[in-house]
Amino acid sequence: MLKNYFKIAFRNLWRHRVFSLINILGLTVGMTACFLIFLYVRFELSYDKFHSKGDRIYRIICDIKTPTEVMKPGGPSWAVGPHLMGGFPQVEATVRTTDDELLVRRGNVKFQEKKSLWADSSFFQVFDFKLIKGNPHTALNDPLNVVFSESAVKKYFGNTDPIGQTILLTGEGFTAKITGVMKDIPENSMIQADMLVSMNTLTRKLNPNLDNQWGNYGNRTYVLLKPGANAASFEKQLPAFLEKMNGTEMKQLNMYPTLMLEKFPEAYLHSTRNDSNSGSIKNVYIFSIVAVFILLIACFNFINLTTARSAERAKEVGIRKVVGAGRRQLTAQFIGESIMICLIAFLLTLAAAALLLPSFNQLAGKTLSNGVFENWRFIGMLFLASIGIGLLAGLYPALVLSSFRPVTVLKGRFSTGAKGILLRRGLVISQFTISIALIISTIIVYLQMNFMRSQDLGFSKDQMMVINSNGDPARDAFVHAVEGLPNVKSVSMSSSVPGGGNMGAYSKIQNAKGVMQIANLDLYFVDFDYLKQFNIKVVAGRMFSRQFMTDTTQAMILNESAVKSFGYRSPQDAVGRDFDQWGRRGKIIGVMKDFHFKSLQEEIKPLSMRIEPNGCSLVSVKVSANNLPSTISAIESKWNALIPARPFSYFFLDEFFDEQYKSEQRFGKLFLNFAILAIIISCLGLLGLASYSTMQRTREIGIRKVLGATIPNIVNLLSIDFLTLVGIAIIIASPIAWFAMHKWLQDFAYRIPISWWIFAVAAVAATIIAILTVSFQAIKAAVANPVKSLRTE
Amino acid sequence: MIKIHDLEKVYRTEEVETIALNKLSFAVKEGEFVAVMGPSGCGKSTLLNILGLLDDPDSGSFLFNGIEVAGFNERKRADLRKRNIGFVFQSFNLIDELTVFENVELPLIYLGVKGDERKKRVEEMLDKMQIMHRRNHYPQQLSGGQQQRVAVARAVVNKPKLILADEPTGNLDSSNGNEVMELLTDLNEQGTTIIMVTHSEHDARYSHRIIRMLDGQTVTENILV
Repeated sequence: MLKNYFKIAFRNLWRHRVFSLINILGLTVGMTACFLIFLYVRFELSYDKFHSKGDRIYRIICDIKTPTEVMKPGGPSWAVGPHLMGGFPQVEATVRTTDDELLVRRGNVKFQEKKSLWADSSFFQVFDFKLIKGNPHTALNDPLNVVFSESAVKKYFGNTDPIGQTILLTGEGFTAKITGVMKDIPENSMIQADMLVSMNTLTRKLNPNLDNQWGNYGNRTYVLLKPGANAASFEKQLPAFLEKMNGTEMKQLNMYPTLMLEKFPEAYLHSTRNDSNSGSIKNVYIFSIVAVFILLIACFNFINLTTARSAERAKEVGIRKVVGAGRRQLTAQFIGESIMICLIAFLLTLAAAALLLPSFNQLAGKTLSNGVFENWRFIGMLFLASIGIGLLAGLYPALVLSSFRPVTVLKGRFSTGAKGILLRRGLVISQFTISIALIISTIIVYLQMNFMRSQDLGFSKDQMMVINSNGDPARDAFVHAVEGLPNVKSVSMSSSVPGGGNMGAYSKIQNAKGVMQIANLDLYFVDFDYLKQFNIKVVAGRMFSRQFMTDTTQAMILNESAVKSFGYRSPQDAVGRDFDQWGRRGKIIGVMKDFHFKSLQEEIKPLSMRIEPNGCSLVSVKVSANNLPSTISAIESKWNALIPARPFSYFFLDEFFDEQYKSEQRFGKLFLNFAILAIIISCLGLLGLASYSTMQRTREIGIRKVLGATIPNIVNLLSIDFLTLVGIAIIIASPIAWFAMHKWLQDFAYRIPISWWIFAVAAVAATIIAILTVSFQAIKAAVANPVKSLRTE
Repeated sequence: MIKIHDLEKVYRTEEVETIALNKLSFAVKEGEFVAVMGPSGCGKSTLLNILGLLDDPDSGSFLFNGIEVAGFNERKRADLRKRNIGFVFQSFNLIDELTVFENVELPLIYLGVKGDERKKRVEEMLDKMQIMHRRNHYPQQLSGGQQQRVAVARAVVNKPKLILADEPTGNLDSSNGNEVMELLTDLNEQGTTIIMVTHSEHDARYSHRIIRMLDGQTVTENILV
């Protein structure tokens, strides 16, 4: 019996090749998109789920209340971690980490190690990162102990055993000992490092007393609770703990931190702290929904085409019933056919996914999977899913087809009922609703991306090359040498450039009422030429100037937002007021125009600038566009001559600034791709339905032509039905898309308005695509010779 | 074998009510060959559908082998049908996607006959119908007469007690038509009961008895043998 089903299913597929192709292609595209999204979602959900003590690891985050704002640093102050250990019986261990970029040298091999991490010695006790060589309990026990990842070992030591060997760290050349080798940290961890350096190198050697600094932030602190300990009650004890340890200082500074616990395995997707390493549960949801939608569209195609063709299958159903088939057997047969189609699509999906995976990895910016065949479980799941899809998509057509009464269908009195037509229309509308909503969303995502890239940021970022001297003492000499080069227009030094990180400083600024107001001000250390270099306008007062001796220590420039936050009505009023910041006191000499020193997702925050040559390690070089490669190599040779110990590396500011939108751009690209897929599948379905309905109306078309209908009349007749459906879809999709994208845009402090023409464009695009799809069939039918078409009955 | 009494069937659309069978009664004995004749719309096909358990009467009694089957549900009808009744249609009604062999095999599959046995019986039947050489062809590749022979083969392969033929020669030329009638006569002589609807007086003459219908009722019965 099965053999017979397969035989007839296969022959049916082959006889109606076009329909089969549309069905299989649609399902393949849908299943491939779904499978890739599944890999992405699974990967996002897998972050830091591999720690065996994961359910007991918490990340401590911190809100700091000041009179003017609530600051949200990534972790608590340095003192919290070590003091929790003694104070609470339920704490098994704490680890502090902090990211850094350290200069590492071994003989001639030198790298600015981008993924350096300072870590407490309990690191391997808390997290499940595998130490291949060395003792996990002691590897980070002493100052200047280093654990390398396998890749780092390869880079510095090749194939020789690194344990006990030494490397030179930082510009000062501290000698550090390799005490361990760990497996490369998997990509699905928020903690990323190629090199771990013992934390007490910092806390005992470089910055003694760091362990007792309650007002110094900038590390991440994790706590491992003992089994059975209650996290909530532990969290409730933390305010009293802070009060006891640091109450006086809190009052004195007027800064009140609150400590909170985040489950570490959930931090990646759910954290309220925006990490460069963090993901977004919202994107996971969005893509999951998109995946379901695409699959739905593909299933709808299947249902549509199968039920539309039911008239053809009706005769077969009738005959089978007459010769003894029961309804159950027929249902099984049709579901079997649909499962078979899905299994063919399954095989094609495997091939397509294997082909697309590398570019999808690239698009996602991470290695979601090394290959489709890497994990047989996924293939098994996909296999089962295809059978499930076959069952679901095949169930309705099977029930419809198997319910035909042989008397009716064998007498040729058969017509697809109004219910079937209504259902098909409904499904087409749903497909196009989804597609149009995706088109609208894609347009808005793209406009927003474009807006962010083309927005006037308030500073000039073109032809600006930025070199990180990492504070090398020879940087002044390097700056002088570069200034003399042809094609170098100007050079400036600073602690930060727009789009990068910057310091936050505890400050007191005289406000409009004359009171010294406490604030955490973003701070740039700059030199005299910085504002000119970046073309940042001064709206009141003056720029830093070499003519004023006091400018190096007693002058500050604020931005407009800062001035506003201190209550001044006009920037002019702030000029000449007092400041007190990090031990320096002096006057505000000028107010600069607001510029976007962070991404456009964030509002422009209050910013202060001061001259501080020791704090400036970034060298910005404005170069002319001519002969760029030779200019760069000229700068590099100056570097090699003056700072040979450090590798030369640079970036261009415009690209660097755009890097901030990397994840949004990825999001946009992924979205675009899936929107296109949705449209393609919908169109395949429309094509199938159109060609089918045209086929069915061949006789009607013939009669109409005989009676004098012109070709445009006929094309109209055949297209108008489908266009109405697309029109309804536009009406449904627009408010849905508006609502969704309105919410999405809330994440951007600076955003585009959602204007009516976006909907118009999407509507026109969808209509044109639908017309092209349908009219191809319609024209073919319209130009056919009526004599022929009349003979088909 | 068949006994119907006061059988009624009414087709209703929104405005029109058509009485297809109007208190129809007659009986067919086992081994009989009965022809049903009458003008278009007299209720012949409705009768055949009810006799074939494809359709259910509105009222009246229908005894099949002594069992009352009027009011049987679809599944029971289907079960009775596949064991006892074979159909031959005017338009052959072969499945285009299946070969000659596979078309004939179909009833045996639904009866759950084993593969070897099926092959034997189908080949036997094809041999008998002289279309063995066409066993791997598809229906479209055959002439009308050949197609109807396949249809007859399919109707009798599971050795039904009753064959219902609905204008079996309607789509055939006279020589092919005669061949099919000979086949039916042979089957009848081997014991199969046959009820045939036809427009053709010539074909009706092959039967033992002619039931003439008009407006859902029997008008006359001619006994030929």
